[in-house]
Amino acid sequence: MKHLRNIGRLALLLVASVLLLAAPAVSAAAAAGGQAAAGSGTGWIRLAHLSPNTPAVDVYLYSFDNPDAKMVLHHVAYGDVSSYLAVPGGDYSVAMRGAGASPTSPPVLSASIRVASGSAYTALAVGPRTGLRVRVFRDDLSTPPGHALVRVVQASMKHRQVSVSWGGKVIASKLPFASVTSYHAVSPGAETVAATAGAGDAKSAVTLAAGSIHTLVVLDGAKGLEIDNLEDADGSSQLPAGGAETGFGGTAARGPGSPMPWLEVVAGGSALAVGGGLGLRRSRRGARARRTLSPAA
Amino acid sequence: MTAGERWWAAIACAGLAAAFAGAGGLLLTRQGTPGLRPAPAAQAAAFPAPTAPIVAAPQAAQPASVAPPVALSIPEIGVRTRLVTLGLTAQGTVQVPPPTSVAGWYARSPRPGAVGPAIILGHIDSTQGPGAFFRLAGLRPGDPVYVRRSDGSTVEFLVTAVQSYLKAHFPTEAVYGPTPDAELRLITCGGAFDSATSHYLSNIVVYATSTS
Repeated sequence: MKHLRNIGRLALLLVASVLLLAAPAVSAAAAAGGQAAAGSGTGWIRLAHLSPNTPAVDVYLYSFDNPDAKMVLHHVAYGDVSSYLAVPGGDYSVAMRGAGASPTSPPVLSASIRVASGSAYTALAVGPRTGLRVRVFRDDLSTPPGHALVRVVQASMKHRQVSVSWGGKVIASKLPFASVTSYHAVSPGAETVAATAGAGDAKSAVTLAAGSIHTLVVLDGAKGLEIDNLEDADGSSQLPAGGAETGFGGTAARGPGSPMPWLEVVAGGSALAVGGGLGLRRSRRGARARRTLSPAA
Repeated sequence: MTAGERWWAAIACAGLAAAFAGAGGLLLTRQGTPGLRPAPAAQAAAFPAPTAPIVAAPQAAQPASVAPPVALSIPEIGVRTRLVTLGLTAQGTVQVPPPTSVAGWYARSPRPGAVGPAIILGHIDSTQGPGAFFRLAGLRPGDPVYVRRSDGSTVEFLVTAVQSYLKAHFPTEAVYGPTPDAELRLITCGGAFDSATSHYLSNIVVYATSTS
């Protein structure tokens, strides 16, 4: 019966081990609840050559976090805009070399970009060849409900100041060369974009859908101004509210529910075991005492 | 052993048995839901290896328009379904496909392959059994997803992340908001099922980006 005396200790051990086992499960559940909101850790970079008298360049993108990684856009000429490159969030540098120049030659121009996850950026090579520089803009990724966003980049060197309107609404007034407006929220629709500079004015039909984000680039064309309509981002014309009820529970595990009833059983059982063990010990001691007393009687 | 000792021993044994049973029950009911792998943490896309320079073509002046989607295929989890079109409910949420066996595309979201996040919903289950997106949470980053369009063309997406959100804290902007590239969102239910309301408490959202 010696092992029975250890019942109390065994029960205590059991309670302790159950608590230890439960602890990681609870902390794992807490961690799952705190997941990041963003879908993945990527951001986007787009590069554009908007310097009218600078010849074509090769554009290199390097990652600070991964020195071996690079991307190259070959022969990027005035007016060229790359599509967005999806890259992990982190620090990057952009270097431009003359088209065809050795990748190890000193760059004509370089700049650094910090990419935040879930954010988009446009790096513009702007200005005249002699004053060429890279300007980095963070591109908006959300629109006011029912609206489109539009901004203007003025990349015409022949016309130092250009005004731009969309459907009669002025969205850039006497915008100087190599500058960029902030985004304007406009009502969606198909309208005429007009770029005016006193001479060489241009008109273009542009459709802006609700939920879409655009950049209009004013360029020097062969016959006056040209308008390039860039799509920065697009989304739903009407953003749904919240999640969706996409299940009826036919395969749901009937949830584990609260752990309390189980813990109560464990606690109750342990108390019984401890109580039983103590009672057993007292009972055996009493019996031993009676046995030692009886011969003397 | 006296009768008293036997009683105490019996009580101790019963208590021990109850404690073990309780511990067993606790551990068994803490196991994960069968058929649903836990959603993996977000994985950042790898920056392309440096072996050879990658050439990015300049952006087309006018993005080509794409045809509306008609069917969805996800080989990794055995999904092959036609796509119905979905609008919004009076509450402003996306409608759900009436049959639980097919998925649906929210028609006010971008068409799959066009710039922006195309939104596709499917049920995890009916009241009877599995629905079109029963195994959606089992997708992993890198798994391919194919959408066929009405002109016969197919666009391929690769999964970038699988997330689970409590419906009470659904990140509307992150899931539905504009993106600069062609993306896809696959949405179904998940997490605990609340028998009182007959609704799951969470949504599973699969993020994918176009490979073209």
